[in-house]
Amino acid sequence: MALSNANNGATNVAARLQKELMDIMTNPTPGITAFPSSENLTIWTATIEGPSGTPYEALVFKLSFEFPATYPYSPPNVLFKTPIYHPNVDFSGRICLDILKDKWSAVYNIGTVLLSLQSLLGEPNNSSPLNGEAAELWDNDMLEYKRKVAARHKTPEELDAA
Amino acid sequence: MSSPEPIPPPNDRRGSRASSNADISVQDGNGVMVGGPPGSPSPLQIRASNSLNSKNRRRPIAKQPPDVHLLEYCHTPDSNLVCLICHSPFDKPVKLLCDHYFCRQCLEHAWAAQQDGEKTCPTCRSKVDVDKDLRPVPRIIETMLDELVVKCPNSKSGCDWSDQRANVHDHVMLYCVYTLVQCPSYDCRLHISQKDFHKGCLHYTVSCENCHTSMMMKDLEGHQRTDCPGRSTNCPHCSAEVLRLDFQAHVKEACPKVVIPCSGAVLSCTFTAERAEVASHQETCVVAKLAPHFQEQQARIERSEARLEPLSRRVGILEDGLSNITSMLYPANSEPSLPLSEPLDPTSLEAFPPAHLTAASDFRLSPNPFPSVPQNDVPQTTQPPFDSQIHHLLTMHDSLREEVSRITNALGELDGRTNMMIINESQRQKDEMLHTNAAINSMRMQLHWLMSATLSNRNAAGSSTARASASTAAASGSANSATRGASASAGLGNRATASATLHAPLRRLSDSTRQDTKL
Ligand SMILES: [Zn+2]
Ligand SMILES: [Zn+2]
Ligand SMILES: [Zn+2]
Ligand SMILES: [Zn+2]
Ligand SMILES: [Zn+2]
Ligand SMILES: [Zn+2]
Ligand SMILES: [Zn+2]
Repeated sequence: MALSNANNGATNVAARLQKELMDIMTNPTPGITAFPSSENLTIWTATIEGPSGTPYEALVFKLSFEFPATYPYSPPNVLFKTPIYHPNVDFSGRICLDILKDKWSAVYNIGTVLLSLQSLLGEPNNSSPLNGEAAELWDNDMLEYKRKVAARHKTPEELDAA
Repeated sequence: MSSPEPIPPPNDRRGSRASSNADISVQDGNGVMVGGPPGSPSPLQIRASNSLNSKNRRRPIAKQPPDVHLLEYCHTPDSNLVCLICHSPFDKPVKLLCDHYFCRQCLEHAWAAQQDGEKTCPTCRSKVDVDKDLRPVPRIIETMLDELVVKCPNSKSGCDWSDQRANVHDHVMLYCVYTLVQCPSYDCRLHISQKDFHKGCLHYTVSCENCHTSMMMKDLEGHQRTDCPGRSTNCPHCSAEVLRLDFQAHVKEACPKVVIPCSGAVLSCTFTAERAEVASHQETCVVAKLAPHFQEQQARIERSEARLEPLSRRVGILEDGLSNITSMLYPANSEPSLPLSEPLDPTSLEAFPPAHLTAASDFRLSPNPFPSVPQNDVPQTTQPPFDSQIHHLLTMHDSLREEVSRITNALGELDGRTNMMIINESQRQKDEMLHTNAAINSMRMQLHWLMSATLSNRNAAGSSTARASASTAAASGSANSATRGASASAGLGNRATASATLHAPLRRLSDSTRQDTKL
């Protein structure tokens, strides 16, 4: 019984991820891409573009998604693969965002998560930062902040090379 | 009907009564009872339902119902009909107070992580009271969902069915031959598709004779049809490339180079040539054109004959049963004039004794219960002519059935009447018994009175011997009064018995009149 339930869960995750993939391919959102890895449908790679009018403008960030067997009833594990200087992201790429933790809802999907992350870039939550220095610079010294963002950033090509 | 027993010899009707009655109830396959009172469950029906149950017990075909969430839709569904959790069209949707719709199952999954009393709408996070805030969705939504066209879940196995979603459950559970069922073998726990069920357990390893790959028997046909590198061969006759699996069928039905006779061979055309040549010959051969009609007629005649045989047996058995019943009803009058020996002869029916019809016509046979046989010399105008022998037999069968039910009714009525008579009779007996009891009681009282009188007399005599002489007159007076009392009481008793004997015939008279009016 437990076995068949787990099986069911796995097939349902696959079914739902397949539908999301179809969705993303037929209605692409500008500034956002997402694609599953060739051997495992539950591991995806995604990219977001930094929104214009923010220190991240014209920069592209790579992310990884890992979907648990209980998806969409529990959130995917999302990490920044591109190093990023941001108050709510630590140096290993872990993200502090409520909708990826306790505020997760089963109606979210890859697209909505990526859009939320995109808007997080322009509007960091400075009340509970993972990177205190970045939070302080965001509030007080935007020039220095921009310099640090540029220094930390790597283009996808540089990433692949490393 | 399927196993007609041999008809008992016609001259041994009384001896075979029991067995032929049993035959009737078994033969009557329509559930209408012939051999018993209508309304009670026939033993045939009971047996039929039992055998159905036991059949179901013996073959547990546990099929998996289709998972609506995994169905494949033929057209992209309207985005308004798609659940935001599973991204499929809704399955048994519910509506929350905030007007957000979800599949019931998706919602339950999403809520499994949340505490009781803290359930929220997955879309807008408004609080939800699970007991009160779940509403059914409008009927039109359900209808639109039911009308979405889906593919059969077994489409990968080869089923090309597609229809409205409302029908997919029935298709998978009842009709789809690709649905997996439990292997018919008891010691095998694997599944097999419905279409291979009758082939028995196919879960053993075989080696493909063409490429020597080993695989399960159940996969062999698919392998030889699509995957096997050596799956096709060249026909030795026409050198066309055909699948080895289809080679026999090709030679038998399609190969243009195989030598076959003209299809008019059944009607004595002797032409024989290669299939392609025969085809052009048949364009002109008259006999070949007639052959299909001929064969069709032949088949039809054979079918009719096959149908006729059990029917005639059945009619014979029914006739036999009816004559048994008739002889049961007239045990004393089994004269040769009764329609026992020749129930189908209308002339003997006309010789039916009229006394039976006048005595109590309600449970006698009607004058002409049997349809008459159309005779060549005497054309019957009252009976419509019968189309065929079968029609005739059917009509006869129906009338026999009516006859039997009429007799059943008559028997019931007779039974009721007899019961009434018995009740009346016993009532009268009871009344008489009461009278007799009353008479006995009064006699007992007189006896008591006499005894006490005698005793007191004796006491008086014992205590007053001294005064005996002085009071002879008084003693004789008392003795006189005693004898007078005794005679008076005896007269009373006499009168009581007289009244009893007088009353009895009177009552009997009134009883008999009552009986007459009631009967
Ligand atoms: Zn759903
Ligand atoms: Zn809502
Ligand atoms: Zn099917
Ligand atoms: Zn098996
Ligand atoms: Zn092979
Ligand atoms: Zn051929
Ligand atoms: Zn011919």
